[in-house]
Amino acid sequence: MNTRSLFFNRPGRGSRPANLSHVPLAVLVVGLLSIAAALATPPTPVAPEEPPSTQPESSGETGGFLAGISRSGYLLGDMWGLRPLLSKGGVSLNISETSEVLGNITGGVRRGFDYDGLTQMNLQVDTQRAFNVHGGTFNISGLQIHGRDLSTDNLGTLQTASGIEADRSTRLWELWYQQKFLDEDRLDVKIGQQSLDQEFMDSQGAALFVNTMFGWPMVPSADLPGGGPAYPLSALGVRARLRPTDSLTFLAGVFNGSPVANNTGDPQQQNPSGTSFPLSGGVLVIAEMQYAYPALGTMVYADESPALSGVYRLGAWYDSESFADQRFDDTGLPLADPAGTGIAATHGGDYGIYGVADQMIWHSEDDPDHALSVFARVMGTPQDDRNLIDFSLNLGFTLHDPIPQRDDDTLGIGMGVAKVSGQASDADRDVGFFTGSLFPVRGTETFVEVTYQYQFTPWCQLQPDFQYVFNPGGGILNPASPGNRVKNEAVIGMRVNIFF
Amino acid sequence: MIRVRGIVRKVPVFPVILIIAAAMFPRHLQADEPRSYLERIHRHAARTSTIAENGDTNPYAIVIAPVSVGRVQAGDILVDNFNNLSNLQGTGTTIIDFNPSTKKTTLFAKLPQHLPQCPGGVGLTAAMTMLKSGWVIVGSTPSTDGTTRTLGPGALIVLDATGQPVETWTGPDINGPWGNIATIDNGSTATLFVSMAGFDVPGPEVRDPKTGFSVTVRKATVLRLELSIPEGKPPIINSRTIVASGLSQRADKDAFLVGPTGLALGADGTLYVSDGAANQIIAIPDAATRATGAGTGRVVTKGGLLQRPLAMDIAPNGHLLICNATNGQVVELDPATGRQLCAQWIDADQAQSPPGNGDLFGIAVTPDGRGFYYVEDDMNTLMEAEASR
Repeated sequence: MNTRSLFFNRPGRGSRPANLSHVPLAVLVVGLLSIAAALATPPTPVAPEEPPSTQPESSGETGGFLAGISRSGYLLGDMWGLRPLLSKGGVSLNISETSEVLGNITGGVRRGFDYDGLTQMNLQVDTQRAFNVHGGTFNISGLQIHGRDLSTDNLGTLQTASGIEADRSTRLWELWYQQKFLDEDRLDVKIGQQSLDQEFMDSQGAALFVNTMFGWPMVPSADLPGGGPAYPLSALGVRARLRPTDSLTFLAGVFNGSPVANNTGDPQQQNPSGTSFPLSGGVLVIAEMQYAYPALGTMVYADESPALSGVYRLGAWYDSESFADQRFDDTGLPLADPAGTGIAATHGGDYGIYGVADQMIWHSEDDPDHALSVFARVMGTPQDDRNLIDFSLNLGFTLHDPIPQRDDDTLGIGMGVAKVSGQASDADRDVGFFTGSLFPVRGTETFVEVTYQYQFTPWCQLQPDFQYVFNPGGGILNPASPGNRVKNEAVIGMRVNIFF
Repeated sequence: MIRVRGIVRKVPVFPVILIIAAAMFPRHLQADEPRSYLERIHRHAARTSTIAENGDTNPYAIVIAPVSVGRVQAGDILVDNFNNLSNLQGTGTTIIDFNPSTKKTTLFAKLPQHLPQCPGGVGLTAAMTMLKSGWVIVGSTPSTDGTTRTLGPGALIVLDATGQPVETWTGPDINGPWGNIATIDNGSTATLFVSMAGFDVPGPEVRDPKTGFSVTVRKATVLRLELSIPEGKPPIINSRTIVASGLSQRADKDAFLVGPTGLALGADGTLYVSDGAANQIIAIPDAATRATGAGTGRVVTKGGLLQRPLAMDIAPNGHLLICNATNGQVVELDPATGRQLCAQWIDADQAQSPPGNGDLFGIAVTPDGRGFYYVEDDMNTLMEAEASR
């Protein structure tokens, strides 16, 4: 997830935060509005393993790519022979489109609807099949991002409405090689350009939702340089995954400290094609311990009531880059003080800790697909002098197979909380003090989301979505309504996922 | 020392701890209980991808080659695929061959989508066996749209040891050959037991209003085929006997078909059948010799750890190992007593709920008896589970 701003530089190595005393208030407000337009993990373009239910239809003719189209995992089937041809060499190709229309019907800076979309292309090579080398996977993926960004245009939220919102671009995303080692493949190492939201801090339950913060969370989105190496960015690095026991997995990686070489400005514009591969500056170290029940080999006895399945993660990250102070300049004066330099003090390094839980809490005995699960993800950093967000939370429930005969549908209700750090809030107070005007002090932004993923066919999902945001931006001024904060927002929309 | 009612007595502490520990220890692990086969299984390793060269997916049958002949080495693992690249069920046409010694995987057979005398096309199922004479017999339960709405009666297809189809067996008693084949192989003669689950099965949209599931049709059978195998020539069917009938079968929008799927022959000649739709295991006594059908057989066990049982095999201790359809567990059952001893998670993929739901199908005990092969159709992988070294 990335934080980006059209007007404001995010703190980071080499950045020069705006001197609040030198800019008009209106510009400052707009800048605050657009801060942390966050992005997150897009939907994973994997077609369902088993075809789901479909309504009766007349299909059934053999021949042609339309044969069995209502049950096929891909709209284009074998792509006129291309997929089988690639498969012979151990190559798999996945192309997907996520398109959505989202709009706010209440609140916000202005009202209206935006369309945005993401085309993902992913190509993988299985080295076993291609070269008879066990356990190797080569992966390359690209993104084509189109449409407009509702959160920047209308909402001004910290926790942006859609995980696929990003600058319009065509870019390389990930480029890596992974190799398995040890007996039972208990170790694997991945090297190359990686997007951390694909593996770290992951919550299976949260992946259903549309809001960005159910993907790459708010704390790293707002606090890491460039928002961290997550969609649509990535960073060079090495990641190891060790499974010492069947229940425990350790995941750890070392990556370039920022996904871009220059942290000034919009990070996506600094690396517009995803091919700059920066290796300068600091390092980002991240480690995570995962516990899963059940695991391979877990025994169950007839006279026992086994626990329901769950996955728990505990992790931490440290980034050695320089981080700008949220409140004070390099002489110790508030950044809002006209007597100050306007150049933020810098701090070396930043860290955060997190925990993620996914737990099934009920499933039907008659229909195991009919299951209720809960997820929670908390994340924080104690270093609020250099972090805009010092705490974030995601919590939610997912109900699979919510309606009879809709085995592959999922209903979800979730929420997110992002707390602006005390230091950043104090900076807001400073602005009020030094400008002699009422200036809102940012606090906590909260949203709730209700979503329903309807599987029309295995290659097409429709997802109506509703979000309601309390205290957008943590309580920022509305530039379209001077003197007033941005009012709470109701966002509605529809997402469509298509697997080609 | 332990103080009892104010009296201080010297009591040996260690034996007391042992007694308490023994009382707290799970009953199934106490010394007077026989250890199960599955409790010895601690290793689970992926052996190969089962995706065929043409992209076929969804591995079903697992057969361990009994002899070296043609392109197959004794001990090779043959796995067939039920789906094509687009994941349409009932359209897979391939069998892969994994050699455990060389770790190489090759394509053993790729059948045409349509074979003469194979009604409805080709969609290879869990019904597969390889005879000592080198002939491979595989079931086809075809569809053209991935559902039973376009279900063809299918056939049993005879392949030579190079993977070429040489003969097709059809008839009024062959309709949807589905479950793993139990085989008695004497070289020049053989007896096969094949379950049939396709008789009059409608599309999955035809539902029973009481259950909400697709309608159950109690017409599934188990067919016994007695073969003679002339030297250098394909097997000849000498007799066909329906040894079980009236079993439940129904369409399923996810699993395609639910019906009798696992067949395993006990040492005493009893044929055990996993009756998936009824969530039970049944027994057909004297299956190899009986002249008449046994109807729906005798219920050995029902429910419990079973979750829509699929393929099964017999462990060296005589117990049945049964794959579940709706979770990633294999269940160990003592068929003599009907007691379900335990189950083990052999697919714990939490992408499904419960984990492994819909992932398992075929299973085959390894030749040395130290473990078993199974497939994970979510990952299209052949797995091997084995005892610790």
